[in-house]
Amino acid sequence: MIDPVTSQRWLYRSLFVGICMVIVFFQILPLSTLPTTVPGPDLLLCLTFAWVHRRPEFVPPLLIALVFLTVDMLTQRPPGLRVALILLAVEFLLSRHDDSSQMPFAAELLFTVSAIVVLTLGYGIVLRLLAVADAPLHLSMIQVVATILFYPLVAGASHLLLSRVGGTGDLD
Amino acid sequence: MANDRNNTEYMRPIRRIVVGGLVVFLLALFLLWRIDSPRVERFRANLTDRFVPSFDWALLPVTKAIEMVEGFQSYARIYEQNQELRRELRQMKAWKEAALQLEQENAKLLDLNKVRLDPSLTFITGVVLADSGSPFRQSVLLNVGARDGVVDGWATTDGLGLVGRISGVGRDSSRVILLTDSNSRIPITIQPSGQRAILSGDNSAAPLIEFLETPDAVRAGDSVVSSGDGGVFPAGLLVGQVAIGTDRRMRVRLTADYERLEFLRVLRSHANEVITDPGSLIAPAQIGPPAPSEAAEASQ
Repeated sequence: MIDPVTSQRWLYRSLFVGICMVIVFFQILPLSTLPTTVPGPDLLLCLTFAWVHRRPEFVPPLLIALVFLTVDMLTQRPPGLRVALILLAVEFLLSRHDDSSQMPFAAELLFTVSAIVVLTLGYGIVLRLLAVADAPLHLSMIQVVATILFYPLVAGASHLLLSRVGGTGDLD
Repeated sequence: MANDRNNTEYMRPIRRIVVGGLVVFLLALFLLWRIDSPRVERFRANLTDRFVPSFDWALLPVTKAIEMVEGFQSYARIYEQNQELRRELRQMKAWKEAALQLEQENAKLLDLNKVRLDPSLTFITGVVLADSGSPFRQSVLLNVGARDGVVDGWATTDGLGLVGRISGVGRDSSRVILLTDSNSRIPITIQPSGQRAILSGDNSAAPLIEFLETPDAVRAGDSVVSSGDGGVFPAGLLVGQVAIGTDRRMRVRLTADYERLEFLRVLRSHANEVITDPGSLIAPAQIGPPAPSEAAEASQ
């Protein structure tokens, strides 16, 4: 017999993978093949960070690595580097949670914003050091701003989705 | 609760090891990609080949559905569009007459000169399955691949003009790097001045013209075709027209309809001469001026 907590955990993990797949599916639809001047937000990043703040046990590092590595491969990014940075960012966010069990949303937003900014800067710097062609700086900055603007929305939706789940006591 | 806390404390070092291991593995993968890109890119092409075509039952209908919704939104302007189309149609009819006459004349002249067109430039048509999925990369995925004989480096057009070149071939799919991608470099010739240059994409709708010898000889509106320089690309494919960008640099307004890429033609190129033996390339008799030491000996 599988105990309900474990089965629920795996249900939500597969839900996370499912949502990620839907987002990627819509990203790779060939709707417009013209270069975009205003890149949209990185919804996968928003989703992952929002879930990490609420239910870290639903987004274990292995799952994050698997999902983001697949996305890197599908979207022609240099594979691996960004995933490694995201894993480190997730660990940073989790370490902020150790002090108090309940974090106010303002603090959550602050930490997430700093994580996103440092992540993007670090990614850009490493790529430029290794002379890999990267997106122009202003485009990545627009994407960072869009991601930050969308974060509260994604966090709210995740809260609605995840607050119904009974607590398991882990890290929460 | 206490039990849980103990559990968490016990789990933490394991988690740290897992994360550390993953980070090291991912960075190693990134370095491997940086050092040995073709191998990893081949792996990427195979992974995409397994993943994306299995979704084509969903990809195409959803794309069509969204396009229909967009089409419905433009329903409001249908009267204006109709008028505009009628006007354009009238102009087109005049052009069609001119084109027919020119075509006949051209055929006659070609016949007189006994020109033989290259028969090996045939094509395979593929459907666009997906785009790059990232706002910073410009590429599309076609549903033809190694199974259909597609080879890396072949040119693709949309029937109007050059779209890009094949880069990454899986069994059932192949990726086309568009001319607008920041990694795209294509040798071009600008007509009528006949100057050679390189067309380099920069993530904008109009790629840049680089390495142009005399920019004064080129004007906005000159037509740009691909050149066979270096033997990497078939020559004479229409690319677009020269235009001056807002930053006063020379750019190319592409002829291909990048707004909607649906079907693409992959042109079968000639099998290029494969150079296996570098030694035989060096001609037996030296061409050009003799080396300094030989010149000195000869004068003695």
